Amino acid sequence: MLKLLKNLMKSPMFVIGVTIFLITLLIAFLGPVLYHVDTNYRDIVAGPYAPSSAEHLFGTDHLGRDYMSLLISGLRSSLYVGFVAGVIATVLGVFIGLFGGFKGGWLDEILNMGTNLFIVIPSFVILVLISSAVKDGRSLTLIGAIIGLTTWSWSARAVRAQASALRSRDHIALARLNGASSLTIVFKHVLPYLMSYVFMVFIMQVSSGILSEASISMIGLGPLDSTSLGIILNQAKDNGALSDGIWMAFLPATIVITLTVFALYLINTSMEGVFNPRLRK
Amino acid sequence: MSAKIFEVDHLSLHYLTRFGEKINAVTDVSFSMKQGEILGIAGESGCGKSTLVSGLMGMCIPPLYPTSGDVRVNGESLMNRTVEDIRANVLAQKISMIPQGAFNALNPVRKVKDIAADVIAAHQKSGSSVSPKEIYERLCERFDLFGMDTKRVLNSFPNQLTAGERQRSVIGISTLLNPQMVIADEPTSALDVSTQKEVIRMIFDLLDKGIFSTMIFITHELPLLYHVADNIAIMYAGEFVEMGSAEQVVKDPRHPYTKALMNAMLSTEQSQRTRKPEAIEGAPPSLKQTIVGCRFAERCKVACPDCKKNTQLIRMVGDRLVRCDYAK
Repeated sequence: MLKLLKNLMKSPMFVIGVTIFLITLLIAFLGPVLYHVDTNYRDIVAGPYAPSSAEHLFGTDHLGRDYMSLLISGLRSSLYVGFVAGVIATVLGVFIGLFGGFKGGWLDEILNMGTNLFIVIPSFVILVLISSAVKDGRSLTLIGAIIGLTTWSWSARAVRAQASALRSRDHIALARLNGASSLTIVFKHVLPYLMSYVFMVFIMQVSSGILSEASISMIGLGPLDSTSLGIILNQAKDNGALSDGIWMAFLPATIVITLTVFALYLINTSMEGVFNPRLRK
Repeated sequence: MSAKIFEVDHLSLHYLTRFGEKINAVTDVSFSMKQGEILGIAGESGCGKSTLVSGLMGMCIPPLYPTSGDVRVNGESLMNRTVEDIRANVLAQKISMIPQGAFNALNPVRKVKDIAADVIAAHQKSGSSVSPKEIYERLCERFDLFGMDTKRVLNSFPNQLTAGERQRSVIGISTLLNPQMVIADEPTSALDVSTQKEVIRMIFDLLDKGIFSTMIFITHELPLLYHVADNIAIMYAGEFVEMGSAEQVVKDPRHPYTKALMNAMLSTEQSQRTRKPEAIEGAPPSLKQTIVGCRFAERCKVACPDCKKNTQLIRMVGDRLVRCDYAK
């Protein structure tokens, strides 16, 4: 593990990615301690779209709420949605891909058919349909779960290919010939072998979850119980910030989303370079 | 006279591809083994040796299917049984396999002790439980027999071991439950000569100590088989073409393929130094089609027109079996 970390630390991409991601985590979770302003407090004196000041670091939004605190809260919500979506999509995708790829035969055919079906149906359309169907109870967790349930197919396909290739490996054959059950082989031999791959799939699913949440919130179908980065963008759009050139209303949120996803992408790519010997320099 | 513990009766196996193509990988293989016997099976790469091993263990997992015939261990048939039944009641306990390529046969992300402990855990009777400490002690006891640095080997990942240690670990894992019979599928391939010797000595050590009593040894090295096996079967294009005692098959081969195989061998003997090994021209027939006549006819130097027309049946020639109408 230590050796692995040492190898990863040699990659500048990994160092940059982890640094950016750690900063976003620090802002999201330690930000409220250092910069405590109530996100619901409307500063009538400062008014809407007030410029940056000592009281409001990034100014205020269209309702006179502190923009910086909204950004911190939104980042935390977006990371939470990304994490929920990532866990659900990875667990579902890994299990479906693992069993299908490893078992082969009719089980694989059925699971693969289901996976392909989910791939060809645009997941964003399903996301929009389910989100608009759930009118009142649209919480962060629900949005995360819906995203996870609609994006697992890519993880399933990727893991299936790996598991299928592993099926014919000699160490799997030895385990089978020594009497190990399919469940033992899957959990003790195949899954640990693919763990690095699964971790990379999880990172990509988290970043895809953050982007999906931003997209769904941008069109007004986001969570109703809290502010997310997508909701900040949606409110900026709805209140004419784009046409009026009030860039402070949308640019910081866009940059935070981009940086978070970019950091995850950097971590993923650098990990692939270390885990995959063919890509190792 | 000891009873037959392993019987193979006209076993044929085929692969079914996704496109419905049938590949007859093993055709009409029959033999039986008594307790304590060592049978060597030799043949060139792709002749069906490893497919035969799967069939002999009752592990016909799609795309491999049994076509016909039967395999019996202690009189109990392995055919028409579920893979789960065979896994729970036959594998590792009655029949075990030592695979080729020890480096690939050990899971690179697990320690040797974990891989070995799985074998014991997989065959735990329901209701009984063995603590990890007991399992570890059992592993130490068995690995001590091999004269290795047991604790280091057990606590190592496969890539931390030498080729010989890996192969010995594989043998140790495969014979943990004292199986009645072991099928060694090219256990010495890709090993240097001294490690080969060590591995062979270790297998025979286990035989002497009664860890297992009967063995099928598969290799493409005929001289090696001559030293380890009681009987040898030569396989070509999915069929046994000759089967007899090691002495008969190696010193006095009767089937043209066995003769060609012997001529292709390199030897260090003084008298052989001037002899050039002869390659067998041509390639084996495709097993996708139904083959009419002798399968070796196209490559046989003594084949006559009838050989390509008449299917050759295995028959007794003296006190050995040969699949050639013209063998004397």
